[in-house]
Amino acid sequence: MGSTIAEKIFSSHSGRPANAGDVVVATVDFAMLHDARATNALKRIEQLGAGNKEFALPFASRTAFVADHYSPPPHQEAANIHREMRAFADKYGVVLYDVGEGICHQVLPEGGHFTCGDLVTGTDTHSTTYGAFNAFGTGVEGTDLSAVMMTGKLWFRVPETIRVDLKGRLQPGVWAKDLTLHMLGRLGAEGANYRAIEYAGSAVAAMEIDDRMTLSNHAAELGAKAALLEADEKTIAWLKAHGAREPRPVAADPDARYCERFEIDASRLPPQVARKHRVDDVVGVPEVKGQRIHYALIGTCTNGRLDDIRQAAAILKGRRIAKGVRMIITPASRNVYLQAAREGLIEALTAAGASVEAAGCGTCVNITGHLITGDGDVVITSANRNFKGRLGNANSEIFIGSAATVAASALTGQITDPRTVEGGEWRPISKAA
Amino acid sequence: MNQTGLVNHVMNIRGKSHLLADDINTDIHCSSKYHPGRDNAYVAQHAFEQISPGFAARFARGGVIVAGKNFGNNSSREQAVHILRLMGVAGIVAVSFGRQFFRNCINNGMPAVECSISGIAPDDEIELDLAAGRVAVPARGLAREVPPLPAEVQAILAAGGLIPFLKVHPDWKTPVSGEQ
Repeated sequence: MGSTIAEKIFSSHSGRPANAGDVVVATVDFAMLHDARATNALKRIEQLGAGNKEFALPFASRTAFVADHYSPPPHQEAANIHREMRAFADKYGVVLYDVGEGICHQVLPEGGHFTCGDLVTGTDTHSTTYGAFNAFGTGVEGTDLSAVMMTGKLWFRVPETIRVDLKGRLQPGVWAKDLTLHMLGRLGAEGANYRAIEYAGSAVAAMEIDDRMTLSNHAAELGAKAALLEADEKTIAWLKAHGAREPRPVAADPDARYCERFEIDASRLPPQVARKHRVDDVVGVPEVKGQRIHYALIGTCTNGRLDDIRQAAAILKGRRIAKGVRMIITPASRNVYLQAAREGLIEALTAAGASVEAAGCGTCVNITGHLITGDGDVVITSANRNFKGRLGNANSEIFIGSAATVAASALTGQITDPRTVEGGEWRPISKAA
Repeated sequence: MNQTGLVNHVMNIRGKSHLLADDINTDIHCSSKYHPGRDNAYVAQHAFEQISPGFAARFARGGVIVAGKNFGNNSSREQAVHILRLMGVAGIVAVSFGRQFFRNCINNGMPAVECSISGIAPDDEIELDLAAGRVAVPARGLAREVPPLPAEVQAILAAGGLIPFLKVHPDWKTPVSGEQ
């Protein structure tokens, strides 16, 4: 019987054949801690070293601290957490990404910190993002992080895998975001709890890296432990361009054992939205067409990348957002921001009436200090969660859609199918084609 | 705060059952997420208040939480387990657990077992044998076999959590795991 990608990565990292259901102690290649989990994690590390004069963190240089949730810090407590992180990183040799450098899940791949076949942990559920690069990325907590920093290892239960074959190709104006929302409607939130997902097929091959990152990232809403893609020439070119170690791609065996397997015909899928206050209450955009909106947000680790901003600019360049709509864009990283500036996207979007703010988790959740919505405000966002009160007011409601749907809706002031507006069928040109 | 020492780190647990429903999010019902600035002691006094009024007041140290499916779902905060330990929870039996919540339980020395809970009533005397893989309510003649926790996980629980475990086994090597 063959193996899944997850089983192969855990086998190579634990030095024994690892099958779904086994518990293994595995070597971790890279670890990440962000500011919203730093207080707990630094306390745990302190406990680990308590009373030990020779305490060392030999794996600190394979760890990054990222100041992204409070970027810029909305209160002095957050600013003080950042001070503590900086001092700790300095003392132990941890890689530091400071305020404004970007969201953890964007800066880790951009920094070339891991490659295909690696095992990566982050103190964040969206650490599944690294699966887009054929690495097993998964979310953990502070005690886990302290163990990795001290020993370079962690215990894991090897997950069962759901295999999703994505046939055909997404139509112009339809994105990985829409595919994931469709999956959420089908499996339900937590529908993949404990399990890994493997996405494969022609629709994945046709996607650019930015969109693949959405696919792996957003699997967190499905409860997935990881969301793995196979590597191809686009993956390898991207990793090499960002200075990652030599890729060692890991493919699933044709006779691998899956706990569930199904196909989706990507070419038939229309743009999707999730309605208040559930990520799995999903309908096609045409079903909520005409719903009035007050805020249009593009950003977060799910959809704040360059192709999202390019898509928004393709719709809004030379035009104005609707009266009564506030549009806020937070690029996923400073690199994304800079490239968007070089391409004239920041100018086009600002001229259209959008505010482009600091790179970071900004528009995702109100702990960032952003976006306290008013009573009755309706938000459309490219973020990943729409729980009640997530943007600071339980009397507002949040729709989730692709950056294309958000930009088209900002233009008209109501939820709009991007395929019905000029520029809404923009699509990136594949470099590898 | 390290709560080590508040419960006995044994593989056999016996305590009164305290029931909770399906899909309990421990970030919401057992952390300071919605009690900003409050300490663990405060949250422990109000844990699960909204879904089971008076729960914390009724809960006697050494009790066992018996919950439905997805206990701790969507909740990644380790603090929830620190609060459960502060309350004196000796173990948790649930139909299933949220993934990160289960990790946090093991890492903080909180026995957590997946098992059917049908037929278990509030205040039943419930017994957990983690090594053998058995959940029983002798007064009701109820005894269920469950997959025993893997040896690696048992070793972490027996030590009282991952941090005390690594203080003794900084290389993860234990007689049970026998890593070559």
